[in-house]
Amino acid sequence: MANYLAQFQAIKNTSDRLVVAVEDVSDLWPSVKEGLEKRLPLKKASLNNKTRNPVYVENLQAEFILTTDSRLRSRFPQEQYLFWFREPYATIVLVSCEDLDEFKTILKPRLKLIVQNEEREWFIVFVSKAHPNNDQATKNAKKVYARLEVDFNTRKRERCCKLDLNGVDASFWEDFDFKIVESIRNTLDRRAQFYEEEIRKMSEQRLMPVWNFCNFFILKESLAFMFEMAHLHEDSLREYDELELCYIETVSTPGKQRDFGGLEHGDDQAALLKPGFKPLSQIVQDDSFREFEFRQYLFARQVKLLFRLGRPLEVVMRGYSFIISFSKTLALHENTLPFCLREVWVISACLAIISSTSSTYDGLAAPDNEKEFYRLHGDLYSLCRIKFMRLAYLIGYGVEIEKSPVNSASLSMLPWPKPSIWPAVPEDASAKVLAKEKLILQANPRMKHFNIQRKQLPLEPSSLLREANRRRASLSVGNLSELIDYRQIDGSGIDGHQKFSPSTTNSMSRTYSGPNLESSLSLDRPMRISEVHVAAEHALENTVTDPDLLKSLSSLEEFEQKYMELTKGAADNYHHSWWKRHGVALDGEIAALCFKHGNYDLAAKSYEKVCALYAGEGWQDLLAEVLPNLAECQKILNDQAGYLSSCVRLLSLEDGLFLAKERQAFQLEVVRLAHSEMKHPVPLDVSSLITFSGNPGPPLQLCDGDPGTLPVTVWSGFPDDITLESLSLTLTNTLNTDEGVKTIKSSDAHILKPGRNVIKLDVPPQKPGSYVLGVLTGQIGNLRFRSHNFSKGGPQDNDDFMSYEKPTRPVLKVLKPRTLVDISAAVSSALLMNELQWLGLIVKPIDYSLKGSLLSIDTGPGLMIDESHTIDINEYAKTMEDKVHAHDSNTITENNTHPLEPKQLYIENGKIALPDWASDTSTTLWFPVHAIDDRMARAASADSPHRQNMVDGMRTIALKLEFGAFRNQIFERTIAVHFTDPFYVTTRVANKCNDGTLLLQATIHSQVKATLCLYDAWLDLQAGFVHVRKENGRPVSSFFPLVISPSSTAGILFSICIDNMAIADQNEVVQAESILNVMYGISGDRSNGAHSPTSLKLGSSDKLFFKVAIALQRPILDPCIAVGFVPFSSNCLRVGQLINMKWRVERLKDLEASPSSSCKDEVLYEVDANPEIWMIAGRTMGHALLSNARGSRTEITVTCMPLVSGHVRPPQLGLPAMDDANISCNPPGPHLVCVLPPTLSSSYCIPA
Amino acid sequence: MIACVAVVGHQNNPLYLQSFTGADDALKLHHIVHCSLDVIDERVNNPKRSVITLNESYLGLLYPTESYKVYGYLSNTKVKFLVVTTDLDVKDTDIRSFFRRFHAAYVDAVSNPFHVPGKKIISRIFAARVSGIVKAFAPGTYG
Repeated sequence: MANYLAQFQAIKNTSDRLVVAVEDVSDLWPSVKEGLEKRLPLKKASLNNKTRNPVYVENLQAEFILTTDSRLRSRFPQEQYLFWFREPYATIVLVSCEDLDEFKTILKPRLKLIVQNEEREWFIVFVSKAHPNNDQATKNAKKVYARLEVDFNTRKRERCCKLDLNGVDASFWEDFDFKIVESIRNTLDRRAQFYEEEIRKMSEQRLMPVWNFCNFFILKESLAFMFEMAHLHEDSLREYDELELCYIETVSTPGKQRDFGGLEHGDDQAALLKPGFKPLSQIVQDDSFREFEFRQYLFARQVKLLFRLGRPLEVVMRGYSFIISFSKTLALHENTLPFCLREVWVISACLAIISSTSSTYDGLAAPDNEKEFYRLHGDLYSLCRIKFMRLAYLIGYGVEIEKSPVNSASLSMLPWPKPSIWPAVPEDASAKVLAKEKLILQANPRMKHFNIQRKQLPLEPSSLLREANRRRASLSVGNLSELIDYRQIDGSGIDGHQKFSPSTTNSMSRTYSGPNLESSLSLDRPMRISEVHVAAEHALENTVTDPDLLKSLSSLEEFEQKYMELTKGAADNYHHSWWKRHGVALDGEIAALCFKHGNYDLAAKSYEKVCALYAGEGWQDLLAEVLPNLAECQKILNDQAGYLSSCVRLLSLEDGLFLAKERQAFQLEVVRLAHSEMKHPVPLDVSSLITFSGNPGPPLQLCDGDPGTLPVTVWSGFPDDITLESLSLTLTNTLNTDEGVKTIKSSDAHILKPGRNVIKLDVPPQKPGSYVLGVLTGQIGNLRFRSHNFSKGGPQDNDDFMSYEKPTRPVLKVLKPRTLVDISAAVSSALLMNELQWLGLIVKPIDYSLKGSLLSIDTGPGLMIDESHTIDINEYAKTMEDKVHAHDSNTITENNTHPLEPKQLYIENGKIALPDWASDTSTTLWFPVHAIDDRMARAASADSPHRQNMVDGMRTIALKLEFGAFRNQIFERTIAVHFTDPFYVTTRVANKCNDGTLLLQATIHSQVKATLCLYDAWLDLQAGFVHVRKENGRPVSSFFPLVISPSSTAGILFSICIDNMAIADQNEVVQAESILNVMYGISGDRSNGAHSPTSLKLGSSDKLFFKVAIALQRPILDPCIAVGFVPFSSNCLRVGQLINMKWRVERLKDLEASPSSSCKDEVLYEVDANPEIWMIAGRTMGHALLSNARGSRTEITVTCMPLVSGHVRPPQLGLPAMDDANISCNPPGPHLVCVLPPTLSSSYCIPA
Repeated sequence: MIACVAVVGHQNNPLYLQSFTGADDALKLHHIVHCSLDVIDERVNNPKRSVITLNESYLGLLYPTESYKVYGYLSNTKVKFLVVTTDLDVKDTDIRSFFRRFHAAYVDAVSNPFHVPGKKIISRIFAARVSGIVKAFAPGTYG
């Protein structure tokens, strides 16, 4: 059967559509041909696929062929059976007859003969030629057709239809189409079943020796081809898939050694899209086919069907995996194939798939599919690119290929071609060898910018030199040791060359000497790298038949052009796919080539993309490889901002990626650029290079209004010291975001050391709140940098691009306004008036330093500071302690715990500078003050003790404390200090003796919190009084010294009597008041209150002198009028009760003796009452009738109401017109009445 | 032979990369691992396209090329583990068990309280353990 292969091939080529046979019984074909062929292709055909499911096929191609045609007649039955797929799928029998008898006798038997073949699908088209007007003819035709139907239609199937040539019925064509399709469908089903049966039978024999793949193939492909003709592409494709599987199984059966193929001219070009590239008969081998060609053939058939099905994506998917798997297969047979055929084949296969699909993809598919499509295209381009680079490397362009990670990853893990024998140097190739050497020599490896020296990444899996020489059959083992030396120069063509250069001249001279010598030489010694390249090039020229590829490898320029085309193709397609990283990485390769060709602009753009990708995901190792290239581009393009930024980025990469020297070079560039003549300052983000944080520990706390110094830790990533012209930081108030950010600046230039630096920034007074650090800005030359990065206290870390979060830890807290200091009087009790006293002030800092503070003191009226004295200062706590220990001592114990503390201060211009030691502790300041009161103290009557008014002894002192770092804080307070006389005196006449001696008792009440000691007291009496026995006015002197404890009293008795003589001296200036002179001492502690002024003036007498005026009243000598208080009628008074107060006034003497009185018969009276106690109803002042005669009397009544309860003084009646000395009162002194609370009453309320 | 193992963080940042080729060419492995993230991204973002269900950590073969293979494994925290092998004939079960051990080593390493999550793993113990796993893997493959 395999012999039929050629025929099979020919048949396939000629028949591409279904055949419908036309049995023209009545010579009707010429008249109906046109009408019938118009129905083709069949608009819609319902066919069954292989699984007998209905499939609708549109525009099914078919062809009408007369049975008399040579194409159908000349076939042998065997052929018909074999190539059944080309046999007619339906038979149309065209008949026409108008005579029934004729039909019965002639036509019917003939028709029966035709349709007896059961395998045929047939139907009869009865053609009526009768003209419609010809009734007879029409009638006859109808009769015949009816008879035809009876004879040939069965119950199951109608096989007849009628075509009127004159006036075609539309329904006929529908009927006709239906019948054709029905026939085709039936035939197809039957044939498919037949093929399947045959295939099944054959498959069962697969493991038998009789198994012949070719036969199987013919059957299988026939079926596939039949499906294809019937437009059942899906089924056809499946057949091919099965065929492929079966084939692979067949070829992989061990044992049989088969020819692989691929050795013919042109085999290097993939035939993936050319099923007819080679006739199958040529590739047949024994009972099967050569793998190289046949698998490509199968794939090509599949691709053709896939395109028919409109599935370019699947073409690419299958194409890529086919190329990969076929490439592996090629690798297995590499030793038999021409040199590098595998690589060349892959290149052409990839390009073929790309070119065939890129135009067909309409982009209407789902986006996912589109991305996948582009990704596969990218893969194809990429694969093609790798193989192309491999070829280029072999022929010596390797020195020009960028040794990037991308290329290294692709090439260095890809094994070398493994020909059985490495190609030898062709004869007369010395000129080429020379050229190659020149190429190698001239290609100087591009020095990386900044003198970065890195070991170049390998582009070869192992040394090409070694591999080439190893695979040379002739090389002896002895040379291996020599080769081991070469291994050290792996991947470096230049070094390799240099190693060999001494021998170059020798080989040259020998090369010229003759071919024999050359060949012997190639046997003797290992090839040099240039020779390897020449040999490879020569071998490739033999392998490659594609002129385009040959051209691309012919020169370096052509290579780079093709390389660029492939790289761009791959990158662009990857960019359209999901695989962005692949695309961007390839952009880097494009950039490298652009750079090489001086196209710096494009190079920079591409490099930027690459850098952005690597930086964005933190692949610093890769970034470190690309970034210097970008920097170099930017430098060449004079893009200063970009260059600076790149340098800074280089500096901020991890430490291990660059040497210290290189990092210093980066810094030098930054500094040089920053200080160069840049037109505009360049803003730059150095967040990864300079980071900052507040100092660890609690935040700096400032009081409201205080400036401060904020220490900030700044981490510098620069390798060397760097000078910053300015530095500022923003502070953000976390509580109040409305205020925006405050910038604080460091005034002077800083030099940042590598690593940790602490920088102090002055903080002007801020509003209360809590502040966090914001942005660090600064300037290096014209470079304005910003950093947003917070280091977390540890060493600078560049990886935290993802854990980037603003620290919430505040660095500065400005407290709400509060009291920072308190100044109060140390002593609350009164000090001595008119004496020099210590005034104590407690200055109490409240968690705030008073360093450098200044206290201004402004005394109020009646008080002055004695500036001749120093001011004492001591610790307040100690004062209290001292007080405990030395409570009874007059002097304050000096504590020497602070020997250096100045205890004495001076006041200058009313201001005192507080000492530094006192800045944080509470201190007591003691001022010598002198309160002045000119008024003389007066003694009061014991009956109406009238105390000295407190306000009189009050003095104020205004204090102003300026404190804080810049004396910006001010505390002002006015303190009231109470001064008083040491005591007050009350007097009363203790007794009136019968001899006229009055015992005057002076009670001395101590007013100070100190012990008073009376040394002496004497009384200077006023006129009218004299001391008994003319003494000097002292009491019994043995009383003294008399000690009066604080707040207690003491009494002194004086014996006086009325001096009747004194009245006579009318003209003398008489002393109106008596003066009590007291000589006293005081022993008190200044921390308690009043104390001895002698503690100020050492050495002076400690006796003080105090005078009190005492008003003595002579008894009433000449009463003219007596006023008597009439007792109340009721026993008790009540609040709110109206009562009548009555006084009886009686004239004791006739008034003639006093001529001064103008009104003879009346007397002026006045009622004096405390308005808080009494409410007077009516007049309080008036004239009452009182005759001048002695004994006349009258009563004055005033209605009044008590307002408070208790023992109160009643209103008093006074007679202003009369001299007090002439009035005798009863009761003689002030007296009290008792007022009861009001009776309880619900209707009466007392005002509050 | 395993050429390289890598741990990549959930933001596709490298956390650990160790080359076992012996040559000074780790950079190309960086490139391979980095590009393999494309495949992981694609699989994670297009679950219907991926053959392997994402319920499983093991992502399988990511990247078949002619000369090497990349296998991937994705943890629940989106940490990726990758292995680049130059051995083209590796059993899936071997790789699976390798990844499980690798993952366990990683979990131990990041459980160190001194390790900052998201930062590179600098633990020497982890490196030694990974080397041990890699060494243990090789004979299993060839044997």
